[in-house]
Amino acid sequence: MPDGRHEPEQAIAGTGMGGTMDLGVDEAETLEKRPGPDGTGPGDRPRSLWSDAWRDLRRDPVFIVSALVILFLVLISLWPSAITSGSPLTCDLSKAQQGSQSGHPFGFDGQGCDVYTRTVYGARTSVAVGVLATLGVSVLGSVLGALAGYFGGVWDSVLSRITDVFFAIPVVLGGLVLLSVITSNTIWPVIGFIVLLGWPQLSRIARGSVITAKQNDYVQAARALGASHSRLVLRHIAPNAVAPVIVVATIALGTYISLEATLSYLGVGLKPPSVSWGIDISAASPYIRNAPHALLWPSGALALTVLAFIMLGDAVRDALDPKLR
Amino acid sequence: MLLEVRDLHVEFHTRDGVARAVNGVSYGVDAGETLAVLGESGSGKSVTAQAIMGILDIPPGRITGGEVVFQGRDLLKLREDERRRIRGAEMAMIFQDALSSLNPVLTVGDQLGEMFTVHRGMSRKEARARAIELMDRVRIPAARERVRQYPHQFSGGMRQRIMIAMALALEPALIIADEPTTALDVTVQAQVMELLAELQREYHMGLILITHDLGVVADVADRIAVMYAGRIVESAPVHDIYKAPAHPYTRGLLDSIPRLDQKGQELYAIRGLPPNLMNIPPGCAFHPRCPLARDVCRSDEPPLYEVSPTRGSACHFWRECLDE
Repeated sequence: MPDGRHEPEQAIAGTGMGGTMDLGVDEAETLEKRPGPDGTGPGDRPRSLWSDAWRDLRRDPVFIVSALVILFLVLISLWPSAITSGSPLTCDLSKAQQGSQSGHPFGFDGQGCDVYTRTVYGARTSVAVGVLATLGVSVLGSVLGALAGYFGGVWDSVLSRITDVFFAIPVVLGGLVLLSVITSNTIWPVIGFIVLLGWPQLSRIARGSVITAKQNDYVQAARALGASHSRLVLRHIAPNAVAPVIVVATIALGTYISLEATLSYLGVGLKPPSVSWGIDISAASPYIRNAPHALLWPSGALALTVLAFIMLGDAVRDALDPKLR
Repeated sequence: MLLEVRDLHVEFHTRDGVARAVNGVSYGVDAGETLAVLGESGSGKSVTAQAIMGILDIPPGRITGGEVVFQGRDLLKLREDERRRIRGAEMAMIFQDALSSLNPVLTVGDQLGEMFTVHRGMSRKEARARAIELMDRVRIPAARERVRQYPHQFSGGMRQRIMIAMALALEPALIIADEPTTALDVTVQAQVMELLAELQREYHMGLILITHDLGVVADVADRIAVMYAGRIVESAPVHDIYKAPAHPYTRGLLDSIPRLDQKGQELYAIRGLPPNLMNIPPGCAFHPRCPLARDVCRSDEPPLYEVSPTRGSACHFWRECLDE
């Protein structure tokens, strides 16, 4: 758990929160810039994979729509005050459960808080948890998976058994047990928990693609010309093995956001006065007959966000997997 | 001797049993000399080369005996990091398929330059300059522009030239070329072989040329070692072999080259198949396919008989074979 808390912290310092939102796109863009000015390779699969993928993505309506939704979410979580002047914690009990009215389009929840403002601020929590947990899972999972895939043997067996153990832990039950003992009301315990349970999925993917990339002749050739282990992994194997990891990580990001909401709903994730869609959904559910709007808006926002990430992941996978074309 | 392989044994442990890929191979190569290692697929010629380079996959492979003495040191006794420093710098390898031997996501300039940044600690700029120099050296036109291109933007012959340039980058004392021209067109084959031979003369390197193509060998090799079922069956200066082979297997290989004066006739083929390495025949491994085979061949494994001071044959009846 302490490790899990540390990883994302470093990651966010290095990359900045907004920029890493769109994992698939970023990667495709930077790699597309690499070919020289005359980098057109007819009938050549391996190198032009990234530029091909980017060309496909730009024409894919699923990608465009999901990317726009995600971009919007990132912007409002960075600058929520741009579209709402209120504070999510300023509540007026006398207005509890009131419906839509001027200046308060989504109405008020059971505590008399503005649902619109709370929904906007809730995006910040979801995006932060999703991005940081995905970064943590990706870093930890790919490093361990790549080591297991590259060195094989005992390393591989030990890691595979450990991942089996983690796969066997039920997520919600594990969350209830582990997080209920933590009193800190920040996003870090939740992120740490997601990293702890999420890395085995990524490590399996990374292990598999490293094993595939390792068998390429150019890896053997580089070895015959004196390349060290680290150089082989970083220069020759990783760039040719990273695509599946990006795809799975993008899809996982959406599920991590819903996991945070689930844990907060159950009362073991974030707790009030933190602002989170899960907390709002939990608080509004007893009043569903009197004030359904207080439940529907945060639920709708959550569903839309998760859907956007899963659609983005699907689009990126379609673009990156040559076998599906 | 620059490199001397002595009684090398390599096995592969597989689910079906132990495959004995190399069974007591000995050969040597001097600086400036070209040794051609001839043999069919599965004769152990590539495995021997991988064992020399230290890039054999262990497991499933295992070196069970022998020495690889390079510049006076037994490589098999060195630590992995010591061997790594020798690879690339003092001995280098050229592979069969240059497209798959170059990393598709890096420019050729990056891959060539890597030799200098990794082994010589040069800056990227210096390394880039040296990469262009090398590409000129192996006669790639417009090297300055093409250094930024990716492997797929080069033709097969040009890619093999880049592989040669990478192998030559640090001016190693020994180059092992594993079927360097097999994946190329016939016309390009000749050019690439010529380039390799010329550069070898210039840098006075030892060259081990692994091939199954006797045509390639005749022009460039000084000596030939013929391998069969993981053993050397004949070792001789190139002209001796072409004049009169001293092993029935070598004779079979020579006879199965298509020749212009035999147009219209049936092409000779060695009957049978190479042996299964999990179950090598007792005695002389070649006896089930040998026209000269007698009882002694089925029971006694022939040593490498001395035919002349520079020549050896692992056939009980090498005299008979020579006279034929």
